[in-house]
Amino acid sequence: MALIPLRMQVMRMIAQCGNYSTLLQRSMAYKSAISLETLYPNSSLKLSTPSFTPNPNEKFSGYIPMEKLEIKYSASSGPGGQNVNKVHTKVDLRFKLSEADWIPAEIRDKMIELHSNKLTKEGYLILRSDVTRTQQLNLADCLQKLRNMIRDAAVTKREPTPETEERIRQRQLKASRLRVAVKREDALRRAQRRAPTVVDL
Amino acid sequence: MGSRQITEKSLVMLRSLPRLSLANIRDNPGSKHYPKRGRGQHSGDKHGAGNKGSGQRQNYMRLGYETGNNPFYLRMPHEPYYRGHHHRREYPPISLLEIQKLIDTNRIDITKPIDIASIVKSGLYRFFPDQKHFGINLTDEGVDLFATKINIEVQWASELVIAAIEKNGGVITTAYYDPHSLFLLKNPKKFFETGQAIPRRMIPPPDVIEYYTSAEKRGYLADPEKISQERLRLSQKYGYELPKLETDQYFNMLCERKDPRQIFYGLEPGWVVNLKDKCILKPRDEELLQFYAS
Repeated sequence: MALIPLRMQVMRMIAQCGNYSTLLQRSMAYKSAISLETLYPNSSLKLSTPSFTPNPNEKFSGYIPMEKLEIKYSASSGPGGQNVNKVHTKVDLRFKLSEADWIPAEIRDKMIELHSNKLTKEGYLILRSDVTRTQQLNLADCLQKLRNMIRDAAVTKREPTPETEERIRQRQLKASRLRVAVKREDALRRAQRRAPTVVDL
Repeated sequence: MGSRQITEKSLVMLRSLPRLSLANIRDNPGSKHYPKRGRGQHSGDKHGAGNKGSGQRQNYMRLGYETGNNPFYLRMPHEPYYRGHHHRREYPPISLLEIQKLIDTNRIDITKPIDIASIVKSGLYRFFPDQKHFGINLTDEGVDLFATKINIEVQWASELVIAAIEKNGGVITTAYYDPHSLFLLKNPKKFFETGQAIPRRMIPPPDVIEYYTSAEKRGYLADPEKISQERLRLSQKYGYELPKLETDQYFNMLCERKDPRQIFYGLEPGWVVNLKDKCILKPRDEELLQFYAS
């Protein structure tokens, strides 16, 4: 026992009591050949909470700040007995569309225009979902619907380019030419079937 | 006698009776029904096991096997549903509701990382590695009720389950254990009593290695930075504020992970655990150290 260094003895004692201090653990931790440090040498190997960085090219990034939405849970409708009565799986999501600063201005205006009939008197846009049996999935469904609404409002119709316009004009002219050519042919055929008009020279 | 007298008499009795122990309790009569070995003309003689063969010798062949000829379930090639069924892995399920119940009844210690060994130790989950069981499948029953911050390691989990655990500030990891490692984890004491060195955990087979290296599934071989990004994506998809792990007081416990070659927390491959003398024996030979660290 005396031949074994003090450090090893201390380690053994620590192993026995099972209480590892984090500092000791990190310096003495077992690292195999396929540990995360060898697999990802450039990574920090730490779990973090990254903040969202929006893509400057896109108008709407898809990020929805949850604190700006009002979410209420209630009991769903339909059959299901005691379970459907007791479990609040229906999700009611609402927010004031005119005050939603997390939506870019043009998209917000377009949304107000598109869904003006659906807004409440105070200007709230309401989204409801009770398709699944879990609150979480219903909330995900509501958010999906909201993202789809925003993306649909963000879609802008592209103006046709001069080349496209020229091509369309040529197509229309060609169609007219063919139509008129067929008419001419039919007229000639009909004229040849009739008796010739006598021209007295 | 009135009810007050009855209660007083009971309390007097209770003060003088000996302490309740295994020696002075028994099951309710009729609660346990053990199957009796049949006797007589109908259940006697061969006791329903037939003649010779694997059936009588209780060494059954796998389901569907017909002693070598083309089995019935493989004769129709246009209906290949059960082809290779004996090669498929199974993950016996346990729901989030069950885990919550175990936590609420103090059968699991949430101040330490939870893995399959802790869940089996609680006594309410059983799995059999020799029957192609490869670990825990965490199901989504009780996903709306789950409200605990835990560091859990399972073998299979769906996106909804991952979201539910991360929503409560916890950490979930999916890790692969080969059948030998699972035998060890299921009953560590039995293994330590054999006096063998702790082996290394094997890497996942080719068809599932992608699962355990993907960040979406929180694989144990995935890059933690990518996992952090996935956490944000999931929080946006399922609509919750991503809890800040770094400022949590249990951050170190939550981030604690096993090495891909490690089977037990705090124990390395190559060590021999001596329960009788309460010590651990570690290899010193260079070759052995190299092998166990490979």
